[in-house]
Amino acid sequence: MTMISKDPSPVVKVALEVDSLKKSFGGVAAVDGASFSVEKGTITGLIGPNGAGKSTMVNLISGALSPDSGHIRLDGQEIGGLEPHEIGARGLIRTFQISREYPDMTVMENLIVSASNQGEKLFNVCFRPSVGKKRDRELVERALHTLVTFGLYPLRNEYARNLSGGQKRLLELSRAVMADPKVLLLDEPMAGVNPALIEKLGEHIVELNKDLGTTFVLVEHNLEIVEKICSKVIVVALGTTLAVGTMAELRKNKAVVEAYLGGDVRERVGS
Amino acid sequence: MDIILGYVTTILVFFFTYNIFTLGLNIQFGYTGILNFTVITFMAIGGYVAGVLAMPKAAAGSGIYYILGLNLPWPIAALGGVLAAGLLGYLIGQIALKRLRSDYLAIVTLATGTLLYGLIGNGTSIFDGWQGLFNVPQPFAGFRTWTPLGYSIFFTIMTGVLFVLLWLFANRIYKSPLGRVMRAVRDDQDVVEAFGKNTFKVRMTAMVIGSMYVGIGGVLTIAYITALSPAGWTTGETFVVWAALLVGGRGNNFGAIVGSFLVAVVFNEATRYLPQIPAHPNLIPDIRYVLIGLAVILSVYFRPQGMFPEKKNTFLEVPLGDSSKAIEEHLAGGLSKVGEQ
Repeated sequence: MTMISKDPSPVVKVALEVDSLKKSFGGVAAVDGASFSVEKGTITGLIGPNGAGKSTMVNLISGALSPDSGHIRLDGQEIGGLEPHEIGARGLIRTFQISREYPDMTVMENLIVSASNQGEKLFNVCFRPSVGKKRDRELVERALHTLVTFGLYPLRNEYARNLSGGQKRLLELSRAVMADPKVLLLDEPMAGVNPALIEKLGEHIVELNKDLGTTFVLVEHNLEIVEKICSKVIVVALGTTLAVGTMAELRKNKAVVEAYLGGDVRERVGS
Repeated sequence: MDIILGYVTTILVFFFTYNIFTLGLNIQFGYTGILNFTVITFMAIGGYVAGVLAMPKAAAGSGIYYILGLNLPWPIAALGGVLAAGLLGYLIGQIALKRLRSDYLAIVTLATGTLLYGLIGNGTSIFDGWQGLFNVPQPFAGFRTWTPLGYSIFFTIMTGVLFVLLWLFANRIYKSPLGRVMRAVRDDQDVVEAFGKNTFKVRMTAMVIGSMYVGIGGVLTIAYITALSPAGWTTGETFVVWAALLVGGRGNNFGAIVGSFLVAVVFNEATRYLPQIPAHPNLIPDIRYVLIGLAVILSVYFRPQGMFPEKKNTFLEVPLGDSSKAIEEHLAGGLSKVGEQ
């Protein structure tokens, strides 16, 4: 995987690259030398049994945790160890396992506040309030379009706390769209969602990927939807990358099957 | 008549200054969710610094000691006091806002306030220790020959004008994109951070602006009563401001004002004029705190959002180019069904 970034004219462009990433908590190596890459414009799945280190990887990539060693590169630039807001500002936006809307703000505000460059400088507040107002008008228009797309338009002036679980999931995704992400890292977006809405969320992701060219990394336990929308799937177990391929390929991979059903993975990986 | 007018102006000055304190806390807590448990320390710093900047050098042998004594004109001294409060907010923010949130942040602010209280009280040479400052020059007192009442009225108007300006600015922040990001930080800091916004900077901005508001209140307080001592800025005073904000409605500047009227004026100030019970001189002040505490408990229990809750913000949606048309089309296409079944 490191070969791709060293290649002066890479055929496939890598959006996100993780290289020998390590993170321990006390004596527990939650992420233990994981390496993988996510190609630009794809929907890539990241799966693995519970305790595989997926959440830690998400936290390392998004900057909530600092890696002990290894590299994380976004568009070829090192982002490992940066502050979460620095990573967010570079275009890697994450969502959270549990829906985390801004409860005391309306759906509309939830979207608008998530856009970048709102003119939220104190200088503007004091001396140039028109900057914010002008940008607000653009953002309102974009937010309305986004809300219509996600079917949340009738709820736009509702407090986000009053939304149902499924609506909050849609809100999370539509809010992320407002930030114009290069890479959207979705941490179990289908958790606790009914099958019909899983289908719908999947469609939205595919559509956004097609229309806006957003690269998606989907950390998910629901393998059915992963198979349906992901062109490539990365399997992690015990903090390392176990296998990469399509779901059909992975099904035939003994190590993968054993990781899910039990057995000593370390033997298979040979680490 | 003069006595009544004098009383009214005094109450009004207290009302306006408490409003300014409460607005400052609202920017910190109501907008941004910063638990500042040492509001009154910023009042004290603002007042003290403005005081020693405006006062002449401490006379040798008078038994009064304080730093500076620059004899500056009041507007400059006042500005110095406000900047000092802002600077203190910045310093506490550097310690407390970087890594801490919610209760831990509250503990640090409380501890810092207590430290400064002890330091200033015992450090006689800074602001005259527990004795405090007195004979602080009043603003524009030499401007013309004032009658005492005339001066009180002038001071009330000046405080009122300042309050209105600060109120307008607080509302302007609230409605601005900055205010929106502040409220998002209040609701979920991690998410704002994940969306690429430096939440430390946003919280620091709120911390410093709020501190400066409280500092302005402090500058006005010392200028009006011409004295300030540590006895007047115990932790209890901080919670009077908190009570005002919680009862009135956090996040809503109008609620903040109603709260500070009820708590600071009705409870806190008006009860000062109740007759003293000779055998128990502290009974009425103690009962006052009990009542304020009770008001907070009742308010948090029965109406946690306060008397005047934060208002819902809507956006002007027309005219918006082609978006309204697109929405109509979508809605006509039967897309009015929402998210989940």
